[in-house]
Amino acid sequence: MERRDFFKKAITVAGTAAVGGITLEAGETVHPIDNRKVSNIAFPQKRPLITYSDRPPLLESPRDVFTSALTPNDLFFVRWHMPIIPTYINPGKFTISINGLLDREIKVSLKELKTQFEQVELTAVLQCGGNNRTAFKPTASGIQWGVGAMGCAKWKGVRLRDVLKKAGLKKEAAWIGFNGEDKAVYNETANFVRELKLEHLNDNIILAYEMNGEDLPYLNGYPLRLIIPGTYSDSWIKMISNITVTKERQKLHFMDHAYRIPDNECECETPENLVQKTKPIEEMNVNSIIGYPVTGTKVRSAAELIVRGVAFDSGHGIKKVQISIDGGNMWEEALLDDGSEGKYAYRAFTYAFKPKNSGKLTIMCKASNEKGEAQPFAKDIKWNHGGYKYNGIDEVTVEVVL
Amino acid sequence: MTSMKKLLLILLLMGTTLFAESNTGITMPYIDFPMKEGKGMYSTKGKCNMCHSWGYTINQGLQSKKFWREKVTKMIVVFKAPIRTQKDIDTVVDYLFENYGNGEME
Repeated sequence: MERRDFFKKAITVAGTAAVGGITLEAGETVHPIDNRKVSNIAFPQKRPLITYSDRPPLLESPRDVFTSALTPNDLFFVRWHMPIIPTYINPGKFTISINGLLDREIKVSLKELKTQFEQVELTAVLQCGGNNRTAFKPTASGIQWGVGAMGCAKWKGVRLRDVLKKAGLKKEAAWIGFNGEDKAVYNETANFVRELKLEHLNDNIILAYEMNGEDLPYLNGYPLRLIIPGTYSDSWIKMISNITVTKERQKLHFMDHAYRIPDNECECETPENLVQKTKPIEEMNVNSIIGYPVTGTKVRSAAELIVRGVAFDSGHGIKKVQISIDGGNMWEEALLDDGSEGKYAYRAFTYAFKPKNSGKLTIMCKASNEKGEAQPFAKDIKWNHGGYKYNGIDEVTVEVVL
Repeated sequence: MTSMKKLLLILLLMGTTLFAESNTGITMPYIDFPMKEGKGMYSTKGKCNMCHSWGYTINQGLQSKKFWREKVTKMIVVFKAPIRTQKDIDTVVDYLFENYGNGEME
């Protein structure tokens, strides 16, 4: 397709969006790529996953993982920024340094974390901001994820607030910087450091050493990682070993340029008119996905089919998940689980029905949250250059056989 | 024979205890991401794959020449990749665009 035709088509599809008096041409959005196969090589402590890179490891969960509220550790997706990751950490010697604008700089061992602080448990969704990036056309910058750069686990650890309290924050403290043990090849390359505004600190932010009742897998950040429920995972630093408290935020590529979206109402832009003013991606959009069946599954007509999937948002709470089997005209409510894992967790849903006619059948799911937000159709999602925050209505197409 | 069995049992139990109390670390697999044959392949291989897998590069999707040039520039400016001459930069950008381009200059 010629470029001009492309935009003509895009405009026909999505219309033009007027934002703050500026007319934006719309990009085009499709369903994310959904047919990638898992690799035949398993990474340590993992079952085979969709594999994009080994240095750094980038692994995606296949769709059929998303049928239960908790994602098994060995099926949990993996995303690192730096290629050199310690392959052995001695838990008896590991410490985390807390330094900067504090009454006293401290080092806390794993054992001290487990014995000298209140232990807390919290279930939360961990999702890459670029999950579903393949939905964005033209191709957005970054790893071309399909639907599985996310998971949900029960995390156990200690409150970040409690650890900082032990060190004593100074009055002028305003930013908390986090750094892990992963490194670049060259010493000159800056580490993957992320910062949190002190005013965003809350009791749900934890330093976790356990995931679903086990030590964290190495590739998910053993022995300690940061959990910031409700937000995309760009700041959930793995193998976290250093926390520095400062007055001013440092200049950081991964804060100043990456993981940012247009700072306008639609959080959108076009390749020709990139928006200069940007903001961090932060809060997760309401989203849902069908884990079973998957596209290509053969099902019997007149036999009960139980659709299974998960829904989540940033913590407002899922109000309902609806299913459509007629292309999005009629919607029926799915059954939600009891929500006992809490508001930051997946809500598992089921929807049982008997397909009538033979042939291809598309099943869609749409989640709405307590704030009144609902997932838009895939085609109505607006483009942004980083391909972040996609939350289009999901669909799978099965084949009904007599 | 009996003492041998006893010894085996002791070793087995010791093994179980060790497993429960510590971890032995991990060994990362090597995954081959083949590069398309083309002018500048070896130069590109040396400059990009030194720091990260070829998978990391090609999983950015098929992109414009401007995109690849900006990525290479980012690798140099932000991540300090030692690609020093304009000729080297051009070689890498041309290889990427020739083999992993979307046909668009911008």
